[in-house]
Amino acid sequence: MHAGTLCIHDNILTFLLKFPAMLLQQLINGLTLGGVYALIALGYTMVYGILELINFAHGEIYMLGAYLGIIFLGLFTVIGLTSVSLPLALFFTVLLTIVVCSAYGFAMEKVAYKPLRNAPRLSPLISAIGISIFLQNYVMLTQGATDQVFPQRFGDSGLQFLNVSMTYLQALIIIVSGLLMLSLHLFIQKTRMGKAMRAVAQDKTMAALAGINVNGIISVTFIIGAGLAAMAGIMVASYYGLVNYYIGYIAGIKAFTAAVLGGIGNIPGAMVGGIILGLVESAGAAYISSEYKDAYAFIILIVILLIKPAGILGKNTEEKV
Amino acid sequence: MLKLLSIHTSYGHIKALKDIDIEIAKGEIVCLIGSNGAGKTTTLLTISGILKPDSGDMIFEGESLKNMAPHNVVNKGICQVPEGRRIFPRLTVSENLEMGAYSIGKRQKTKGKQYNMEKVFNLFPVLKERTKQMGGTLSGGEQQMLAIGRALMANPKLLLLDEPSLGLAPIMVSKIFKTIKEINEEGVTILLVEQNAKAALRLSHRGYVLENGVIKLSGRGEDLLHNENVKKAYLGD
Ligand SMILES: Nc1ncnc2c1ncn2[C@@H]1O[C@H](COP(=O)(O)OP(=O)(O)OP(=O)(O)O)[C@@H](O)[C@H]1O
Ligand SMILES: [Mg+2]
Repeated sequence: MHAGTLCIHDNILTFLLKFPAMLLQQLINGLTLGGVYALIALGYTMVYGILELINFAHGEIYMLGAYLGIIFLGLFTVIGLTSVSLPLALFFTVLLTIVVCSAYGFAMEKVAYKPLRNAPRLSPLISAIGISIFLQNYVMLTQGATDQVFPQRFGDSGLQFLNVSMTYLQALIIIVSGLLMLSLHLFIQKTRMGKAMRAVAQDKTMAALAGINVNGIISVTFIIGAGLAAMAGIMVASYYGLVNYYIGYIAGIKAFTAAVLGGIGNIPGAMVGGIILGLVESAGAAYISSEYKDAYAFIILIVILLIKPAGILGKNTEEKV
Repeated sequence: MLKLLSIHTSYGHIKALKDIDIEIAKGEIVCLIGSNGAGKTTTLLTISGILKPDSGDMIFEGESLKNMAPHNVVNKGICQVPEGRRIFPRLTVSENLEMGAYSIGKRQKTKGKQYNMEKVFNLFPVLKERTKQMGGTLSGGEQQMLAIGRALMANPKLLLLDEPSLGLAPIMVSKIFKTIKEINEEGVTILLVEQNAKAALRLSHRGYVLENGVIKLSGRGEDLLHNENVKKAYLGD
């Protein structure tokens, strides 16, 4: 009797001690994932804001980013740059990956969407699926159907506090995502081109009459979205260490969910939506079941479509960039 | 300055402009009057490059506008205040003005932009008090001032105005007409589309009467004011 009470006490005590630690741990894991989702979600939401089009091939740009990260860093390993200076090698890997992915994003718009600008809404959707299938198979054929390994292991070194750990890589991902989002926000709010993007999103004809090159702004939108997705791709590849040609599909759907959650077309919404999705996913994996890790996004998508289709920050159907 | 040579423009199968010839000399105010659906807006949108003509040509200062993208037409110095004002609703007043100066952003330093903004504020002091307000929350009259101000931000040589007096209170209408005259006196050539034919003809050096996509009449403003057909159809006398 006496021993029994003590035992329960003990359990409660350890639970109470462990609970905040576990929560904090999930917060860190969730922010890491969420930052990445947010970066991809921004591409969906920016394009939607400008063209009212869901670029369903956007996830493939993220996948290309992951592969190109592996290819360029592998190349720098072979030529010995990584052993001379790893930060320098990583910098050039990131730079080249972003440039190539942006070129893909630019070309995607010109090939798959621009000719269909005035077509019925279903046409660009079908075109997007076509591009998506094409890119997946192109990567599968050129890179193989098996997992590719990220050439650099960053290991588990990091900060440790009680039972909570944050690897340096996690910290880097959180910081980089945060900085990119902040820069994008400032770009859109403060710069001449960012304001033009908002003007184009609000009224394309008037933007053209004001002297804005509307097609140019649309291209810039795709280029920025692709650059952010490329960054997300590299970070995920280094985080999980493995990539495959189909990772763009599931990540794309999750990021799309994040964009809808925050209010599609709304830029801060995509950031908030991405982070919420990351947090829910890691909390779900820790407290409910990690088997259903990928299902939480779909549950959120269904729930948000049922109760608030405009999303958390979306005010009405008109609200855009 | 600008010459339209037998311009034909259509929306799909609907022929909206048929064989339009218009000529505007530097420094003039020219008005284009006509009833609803006559093709006035279509004419302005064709000049600005939003609509592509099926045939004919448009020559501005010796250069054809026919295949020019709208933003390049603005770069040449033709700005439009479109029908319905089309203020960017979720940009502030000063951002709306900045967008008007988009085309000079590259050519001139911000000094030019600043100078233009001051000029616009002198013309419309109300706007200065509302620089941080969202365009969509302005009143109709304020929006019209902002729309004109936005077009002036690009230092236009030719200003196209599509029904600037529509939906405004009489006092505002006369203010807008007065402003148009002032802008013209500063050296800006003006093509004015108006339902308010009497006021427009009084203000203009010359006018064109458009009916069902065809130019029916043209002449000096005063002459058109006293033309019997114009009086019956457009002046309600
Ligand atoms: N987007 C469009 N699609 C099809 N037809 C159009 C379109 N816009 C205008 N039209 C047609 O073209 C003709 C000319 O229209 P337009 O807008 O130029 O007239 P308007 O003279 O400006 O008239 P209002 O004084 O009412 O503004 C009309 O018959 C109109 O129905
Ligand atoms: Mg009209």
